[in-house]
Amino acid sequence: MGIFLKDINLKGKTALITGATKGLGRGAAIAIAEAGGNVIAIGRNQMELNTLKKEIKKFKVNYIPFNCDVNNFNRMKSFIAKLNKLDILVNNAGTNIPESFLNVKKSSMETLLNVNTKAVFNVAQLCANQIIKLKRKSGSIINISSIFGVVAGQKRTVYSMTKFSVEGLTKGMALDLAKYNIRVNSVCPNIVLTPRTKKYFADKKYNKYVKENTPINKVVTVSDVATSITFLASEASSMITGASIIIDGGWTAK
Amino acid sequence: MLKKINLKNKIALVTGAGKGLGKACAIALAEAGAKVIILSRTKSDLIKVKKIIKKTKGSSQLFVCDVTNLDDLKKVLKKISRLDILVNNAGNNRPQHFTKVSQENMEYLVNLNMKAAFNVAQLCSQKKVKAKNRKKIGGSIIHMSSQLGKVGCEGRNVYNMNKFGVEGLSRGMACELAPYNIRVNTICPTFVETPMVKKFFKNKKFKNKMLKNIPLGRVARESDVATAVAFLAADSSEMITGTSLLVDGGWTAQ
Repeated sequence: MGIFLKDINLKGKTALITGATKGLGRGAAIAIAEAGGNVIAIGRNQMELNTLKKEIKKFKVNYIPFNCDVNNFNRMKSFIAKLNKLDILVNNAGTNIPESFLNVKKSSMETLLNVNTKAVFNVAQLCANQIIKLKRKSGSIINISSIFGVVAGQKRTVYSMTKFSVEGLTKGMALDLAKYNIRVNSVCPNIVLTPRTKKYFADKKYNKYVKENTPINKVVTVSDVATSITFLASEASSMITGASIIIDGGWTAK
Repeated sequence: MLKKINLKNKIALVTGAGKGLGKACAIALAEAGAKVIILSRTKSDLIKVKKIIKKTKGSSQLFVCDVTNLDDLKKVLKKISRLDILVNNAGNNRPQHFTKVSQENMEYLVNLNMKAAFNVAQLCSQKKVKAKNRKKIGGSIIHMSSQLGKVGCEGRNVYNMNKFGVEGLSRGMACELAPYNIRVNTICPTFVETPMVKKFFKNKKFKNKMLKNIPLGRVARESDVATAVAFLAADSSEMITGTSLLVDGGWTAQ
């Protein structure tokens, strides 16, 4: 902490990260550990939860893995209720099934609503209640949204529906949780190169579409997003709530 | 994974650097390692800021200049050889009910908050794009906007007009400067404990009414805004452009 510059420092804080085994969630878990925060990692792949442990332990912080599907409300509920430390939630687990609007299958629509909206709501509610119960002085919840929470994209109708809903939820939660000094924000990344999006980028047409729509001629990295998440998690952003950090190289400015 | 807020080897220009937010930003950028060029109309203010920066082992250079005087501004810019970061901060407010706004006040605010902001941004950008390695090292421009660049407020119609204007300018600039890897963003603070706001808050009725509009229940500190500016100035935000970072305690989420 300088006179006016606040550090991105999470020493003594504990963060729960959903979807922590891959992509953005894994990046966020590592960045949070790097800033000194303890990590509670939720994921469905035991092997990846194990390999994440090695990366987190490098930073000499605590690591608690929990193999669980965020859709499993009862398991999530009993796990979160038992936590004796919790300050930060990175509400990241999410997925996408790109289909053109006229051909969206009922099953895909339901999957996306379950994971991206309902589970996001449930995990947020469970964690907020726990942070309040533990009487923490402050809290920070970061919902992982997307540029498609702000604008539309081709074959992204359901995804946009779910991510716009996360934007609304974020603002509503920010108002309801302000009196507990729990801040709630979202990050809205452009399409980041992750294990899930690798297959999209393999399509040349898609690659061109992303490049042409991103004024800054680079692909957003996991580290770009993880850095913003960690900034929002820390007291460096203590007056930021109900906001979205858009990390899109200018996509939505056009 | 975590990109630190590090401005070593960067040169930053801050306008309105003698007081309030500009002063805080200048000091914060210096704390992050930048060499800071500070501009304001009042030499005695700048000397004080320079002393504080020196104490933190930072380096700065001061220029006395009224940003509404284009000729003076051009002369100052000529003396600067290189520039990586601009904090386009100089601005003011003269609250009046819409029906009572005097021509004089309207002209004063448009000249300072919009015309001068445009001129400073254009002159600095012209200098920045000339650097041969610009694409590689990037650049960052941060406009000091306001939550009133997003929503209306009583007695703030001209200020609203100005700051919405700055929001538009920022997005346009982001599109045009992206090919040079120069990022352009705004900061939108709520009321901050600055000399300007302290004057408004002498009216207790106004102060209480405004505080009620901030869900977090407190005004922002200068360090909250300065830290956000430093985050946008540094490569920690290297894919963030054409957007606004709200530091408003939830004001605009409602």
